[in-house]
Amino acid sequence: MTNAILNILKPVVTEDVRFTDEEFESLGFKLKERVDKVFARSLQIRELDSGSDNSAEIELVNLTAPHYDVERFGVSFVASPRHADVLLVTGAVTLNMEVAVRKTYDAMPSPKFVVAVGDDACFGGVFKDSYAVAGGVDKVLPVDLKIPGNPPTPKEILRGLLALMERIGKQ
Amino acid sequence: MAFEDEVGVLLGAQGLEGMIHGVSGELYVRVEEEGFREALERLSGGRLILIDLFCAEGFGGRGGFTLFYVFEKRGERKVLVLERQASGEATSSIADLFPTACWYERQIHDGFGLVFEGAFDMRRLFLHEVYPEGFHPLLKSFKNKKFGYGADATQMEEYRFKEVKGDEVYQIPVGPVHAGIIEPGHFRFSVIGETIFNLEVRMFYKHRGVEKLAEGKNPMDCVKIAESISGDETVANSVCFCNAVERISSLDVPSRAWHIRTVYLELERIYSHLSDMAGMVLDVAYPAGSSQFYILREEFFRLNESLTGSRFMRGAVTVGGVGKDMEHANVKAVEDHLRGFSKRFEDAVESVESTTSVVDRLERSGVIRRELVEPLNLTGPVARASGAAIDTRADHPYGAYKAVTARTMEAGDVMARFQVKAAEIRDSSAIIHMMLRELPGGDFAVEPNIRDGYALSMVESARGQNMHWVSIRDGVVDRYRVRAASFCNWQAIEHAVLGNIVPDFPLINKSLNLSYAGTDL
Repeated sequence: MTNAILNILKPVVTEDVRFTDEEFESLGFKLKERVDKVFARSLQIRELDSGSDNSAEIELVNLTAPHYDVERFGVSFVASPRHADVLLVTGAVTLNMEVAVRKTYDAMPSPKFVVAVGDDACFGGVFKDSYAVAGGVDKVLPVDLKIPGNPPTPKEILRGLLALMERIGKQ
Repeated sequence: MAFEDEVGVLLGAQGLEGMIHGVSGELYVRVEEEGFREALERLSGGRLILIDLFCAEGFGGRGGFTLFYVFEKRGERKVLVLERQASGEATSSIADLFPTACWYERQIHDGFGLVFEGAFDMRRLFLHEVYPEGFHPLLKSFKNKKFGYGADATQMEEYRFKEVKGDEVYQIPVGPVHAGIIEPGHFRFSVIGETIFNLEVRMFYKHRGVEKLAEGKNPMDCVKIAESISGDETVANSVCFCNAVERISSLDVPSRAWHIRTVYLELERIYSHLSDMAGMVLDVAYPAGSSQFYILREEFFRLNESLTGSRFMRGAVTVGGVGKDMEHANVKAVEDHLRGFSKRFEDAVESVESTTSVVDRLERSGVIRRELVEPLNLTGPVARASGAAIDTRADHPYGAYKAVTARTMEAGDVMARFQVKAAEIRDSSAIIHMMLRELPGGDFAVEPNIRDGYALSMVESARGQNMHWVSIRDGVVDRYRVRAASFCNWQAIEHAVLGNIVPDFPLINKSLNLSYAGTDL
């Protein structure tokens, strides 16, 4: 017990890593304000890979890593579509994934929003003319926002989420 | 004995006549149907490893299909490529001699409709149920275009998984959509209690038609396609593709360009390995440890962006060289970055290796036995962590590489893969220092004058050996074959998980670092 109390009084023991990006921080706090208002402090996102080249996933994972750490802003990635407000879709929708994409969307409770992340998801990207893809996500699901990029950076994704919050807030 | 002579002996009557030396030092030998089976049996007995099997239609002006069987012999720089004409719509399977042929033959059947008689598994591979019967996209008669049909689940026939029956055996189906931020694939576990008794993976949900997409395009426009095979292998695949085109066209890529490419290749290996190390540690619930690797990785992404304008180094490699020169300020920036990195990386590794609860989970989990490496053609850090001293940079050197040593461990478990990757990061850092120290002057690219021809190209990506075969006819790509390291290493996971518990699956999977996109194409 004594130890527990003493620990509270101790200074922070984690390493002091300086990597603050002013622009990202201010975007993040703006996002937090919006999330607080529109989604009652918690925006839950389900990521769905419908045929990406895996670079967009890496940037989404980066959003949860120490430099960005979006959980600070009320944004979290959830394991099930049943817990999600927003479906972030990466990659052109392949024919082999089309059924799974629809089922994932159907499993989400309403109101629900879809964001296409990356050029492939926005319009098919380099694969737009391939026999193996249906096209961008909007060929299969109603898309509320597109975040282009090959892949978009974590900052661009965050900016996209902010735009989505503002759009939903106006509705 | 020279490799040519050895091949001559193994192929017997098929002989050396008509042996063609490819532009990448590969030996092409045309084989006849008569005696093919016996020759393949001798190759199998002669410890040759099947590293790829693919098909081309109308190759060299010949009608019908040409099958290319690519073999490697350990310690031999040259690879052997057997060319076999398929007569009609059926040919014989070699999956009983070379187990890895199973996926390749199924792949060829989907692509070209060619039937392999005697094969033990003839299910579809990359064409799932939504594709109609008789559809074979790699046939020249099929012009790449969109399909009208939407996905109708009720029309689908069931894909039969291997059934394991017995008291208390039950199945756990997982995927294609998984719980984390990861790529899609289906895993069918048969378990008894918590212990995994059998695993069958079903891949190719992300099949995007990479190979067909390149056909008929100018090679310069295909670099983008190569970059999209797998995001975190952007440089490895673009270098591999460009190298093939450059060899076909006899382009003399400047040494300076190769040094810069090597810096990019090794930067890619470092950030990829950092990602795996972070993932392995995270999957055993030690976020304080994994955060350190994530922080280091992000710093590499930022360095990549400052060097090339892209965090994934997209557009950095071009046919003929690199997109932009490495200025002196950048050389210094990379050197300073690596100096600052080294100590913090060692601290992060030390923090993992001194945490007993982490070590306890990493050791003896997901063991891949040494004997599996050759029959399954395992490659990269996965093979090296099981004791196989193989590395394309050393075995089939390309570009500016010299004196690369394959880092090996014996245990074959998750811990061994963790430590091999740590050692390789140190080596990569040393290679980059060497490249920058010895950076020659001169141009960073040559004019890409494209010629017709074909060539094989191999690059050691972070995941292992990637192989591209490119054939150019009339100035455009006639056939683009891609075999990524992950395509081979996916075979390992079905063995690595046996006897482990289901909760260790994510950890084992992470330690193998398999690319779904690179496999599904």
